[in-house]
Amino acid sequence: MIHLLSLITFIPLVGALVVLCLPKDGRRPIEVVGLLATALPLVLSCWLYAAFDCSDAAGATMQFVERHAWIPSMNVQYYLGVDGLSGPLVILTALMSLIAMIASLGIKERFKEYVFWFLVLEVGMLGVFESLDFFLFYVFWELTLVPMYFLIGVWGGPQKEYAAIKFFLYTLTGSVFMLLAILALYFQADPHTFDMVALMKIHGSLSLKFQIIVFLGFYLGFAVKVPAFPFHTWLPLAHVEAPTAISVILAAVLLKMGVYGIMRVSYTMLPLGFEWFLPILVMIAVINIVYGALCAMAQTDMKKMVAYSSINHMGYCLLAIAGCSATGFSGSLLQMVNHGIITGALFLLVGVIYDRAHTRDITVFGGLATRVPVYAGFMSLACFASLGLPGLAGFVSEFLCFLGAFTRWKYHTAVAVVGILVTAAFFLRMIEKVFLGPLNNRWADLSDMNARELVSVVPLAILMVALGIWPKWALGMMNATMMHMAGLFK
Amino acid sequence: MVNLALLRPEFVLSALALALLAADLLTPPGRGRALDWGALASCAATLALVIAGLACAGGHLGLGTLWAVDPFSQFLKIVILGSAILSLLLNLDYEGIPVRHAGSFSGLLLLCTVGMMFLVSAVDLLLLFVSLELVSLSSFVLTGYERASPKSNEGALKYFIFGAFAAAVMAFGISLFYGEARTTLLLSLGSPLGPLGLLGLLFILIGFGFKAAMVPMHFWVPDAYEGAPTPVTAFLSVAPKVAALGALARLLTALVPTRAADLTLLLSILCVLTMTVGNFVALFQRNVKRLLAYSSIAQAGYIMIGIVTADAMGTQGVLLYSFVYVAMNIGAFAMAIALAEDRRRYAAGDPYDLSAFDGLAGRSLPAALAMAFFLLSLAGIPPLAGFIGKFYLIGSAVGTRHYWLAVAAVVNSVVSVYYYMSIAYRMFFVARQREAPRRLSMGVSLYGSAALALAAVLALGVLPDRLVAWVQASAKFLP
Repeated sequence: MIHLLSLITFIPLVGALVVLCLPKDGRRPIEVVGLLATALPLVLSCWLYAAFDCSDAAGATMQFVERHAWIPSMNVQYYLGVDGLSGPLVILTALMSLIAMIASLGIKERFKEYVFWFLVLEVGMLGVFESLDFFLFYVFWELTLVPMYFLIGVWGGPQKEYAAIKFFLYTLTGSVFMLLAILALYFQADPHTFDMVALMKIHGSLSLKFQIIVFLGFYLGFAVKVPAFPFHTWLPLAHVEAPTAISVILAAVLLKMGVYGIMRVSYTMLPLGFEWFLPILVMIAVINIVYGALCAMAQTDMKKMVAYSSINHMGYCLLAIAGCSATGFSGSLLQMVNHGIITGALFLLVGVIYDRAHTRDITVFGGLATRVPVYAGFMSLACFASLGLPGLAGFVSEFLCFLGAFTRWKYHTAVAVVGILVTAAFFLRMIEKVFLGPLNNRWADLSDMNARELVSVVPLAILMVALGIWPKWALGMMNATMMHMAGLFK
Repeated sequence: MVNLALLRPEFVLSALALALLAADLLTPPGRGRALDWGALASCAATLALVIAGLACAGGHLGLGTLWAVDPFSQFLKIVILGSAILSLLLNLDYEGIPVRHAGSFSGLLLLCTVGMMFLVSAVDLLLLFVSLELVSLSSFVLTGYERASPKSNEGALKYFIFGAFAAAVMAFGISLFYGEARTTLLLSLGSPLGPLGLLGLLFILIGFGFKAAMVPMHFWVPDAYEGAPTPVTAFLSVAPKVAALGALARLLTALVPTRAADLTLLLSILCVLTMTVGNFVALFQRNVKRLLAYSSIAQAGYIMIGIVTADAMGTQGVLLYSFVYVAMNIGAFAMAIALAEDRRRYAAGDPYDLSAFDGLAGRSLPAALAMAFFLLSLAGIPPLAGFIGKFYLIGSAVGTRHYWLAVAAVVNSVVSVYYYMSIAYRMFFVARQREAPRRLSMGVSLYGSAALALAAVLALGVLPDRLVAWVQASAKFLP
């Protein structure tokens, strides 16, 4: 299968164009096209997983490569490929898109437009992880912006317009500086090229000063997406205002683009700049972890709490990267995958209760476990996974993150452990306030999860347990590449 | 005589323009709009002539003493004719032009086009001046064409007063320049200019700055653009800018190179000012014509980057951006006209108020998406054509180490997103006004020109290679 990656990427685009041609009154055909256009990439990415070469020898190479001239006069290529770093993220994206599409079936108004923007968004997200040409990379990177703007702005909560434009301007500001950095690299390479694989090999000829400046340009773009302190302020707003399915996508996929960029671009192409920035990066990681957790602790809005916990969890990823070891890289990548699954589930579950109670305030609930036992079970499972209970997915990756960072940054890691404590505290407090204690009579006739909600949550719950017990399913795919990356600058 | 043959397209278009003016007298009253089609056909014929000349040129074409017919000028002529055709298409569905003078209206528009075609070919200051005047004089009249509208009159008068001033300064500059160089021909220039010649050059720059609406010579723009009949606004916001900036690029990169006079610093300051003022003032506009007027000031600022850097990539960027700018800006104006014509039917007050866009997505999703794509393209978001152009311009700034220019350009792009998206906000997030009909009705030719522009914006964004290759071949000056 030569065009596997192209198929995965552009099936949603075909779906989007088909949806655009359908009449907006007939809801059923739009649903079918939307589901098909997200399910097919998932099926194909399972194929990708099966056909992926996990042997050590393949760690340094790109697989499923597709390479064609796109704009020859500018030396721009259509160049796709995955390795152990991007492969898991592609699969995660395909999975979470289908889950989010299922969760979106509850959208009432302007469903056609919604599905259109959603599918365009998926194209952008998949493309970012697959592209190996900077021009293409940037195009896909920006392609995620506009659909997200509309998805938040039209279907979001009370402050949706403000959240949408803030998200757009924040991310765009970051990414235009990334564009400048890309251009600077392009002109530095001889011959001029946007080929990321080729650019990974020229770092020896780049001076420290140049690397630092270019690193900062890229970092601005990536840090906004991560989001790393102090560029995180768009995130709670966007997450809270976005409709449930879009919060899922934001947390599960969009945030990963930032960390992926740091690993793919900053670390491999600009090692001197990266090394120079490390002490600051590790500080930022610790701030993300501790500050994110404390902020989450202070929230009474469940969705906001989960949003801040994302900031905390992405801090683990950054901390692990700062360790510059194979363990750290694997931990970071696994944490990205796990965070996608777990936080995705958490947002879905918060959406479930919001749809029924029309509030997300932790303090107004109580004793719900007797009324909605299935819901309580899933919610507790997701919370435990998120706070890192052994046996569930979150524990493995967080453990690897700390392990990877500890050899190099002992004190920072020690401080970061506080974050775990706080995380446990706020999740347990939430479980206690919402599900335990006497039942608040206001919620006496709350109904439990319906079939659609179960279909979207159950696969994620299974994965949480499966990856907790046998993380090798994911780690096996990453391992060779992570070893290769860690050995690059030894 | 060989040289005169090179000007066949210009001659043909001037003759057809004069014929239209004459035909205006002869057509029976009330039937004047039929002449619009004549104007369209004339432009199309001239375009065909230019393109045919492109095909059989085979490299060098030869050079007159006043004008150069080279790939650079031919490319810009095609762009100018393209924008004239699109603007004339917009005019077909526009109600504001008095039917009695429809023929002279299109005749003047064609004459304006002829002026621009001369302008981009000129290598002699006198021809430069005369063609600039031809452009200016016809645009003054076009701006004031809606005689009953006070805004149209005000705009035309402002435009005229500023224009007359700029022309006088420019003529003075040319005389100073002549005093030092002893010639108005720009080809034999090589040695550094003395102070007098430099002063002359600065004055000439003012003339160009007025036509291309560079800050601080832009004060006429918002009023003239708001007052002018909207097809004219669409035309004036692209064609004269493209022509003047193209001519300026020829003047400053080929004819008066930096070794003769180094204006890089001055130009880069003007460039940053133009982008920044245009974008920041656009943030506060409530009238879509004024908003697009300020946005077009900023767009000219982006194009100027290519003139400042003056390398191959910069010159290519000027051409590339000019081409895509025509498509996206006229497309945006087409939608603005459609919405205004629609709004006139159900509401009083300013038809070009931004509220005309309220809830467009619900009334016509294709129209809203098209407008959104035009705006995003103007903002430079990939994968639309505007991004490719901006990429080239910013790339040339980075490549020639004008880093601050590059930073200013990208920061400006972010600022511009805010006001472009304020229209998208109205189209997608706001509910439609209660009096507005459920469906948007749109004239056929408006529809056609918007569709043409949209096709260009999308196709050139995704598959820009042929255009880029053509631009690379065209960015050559003959001398």
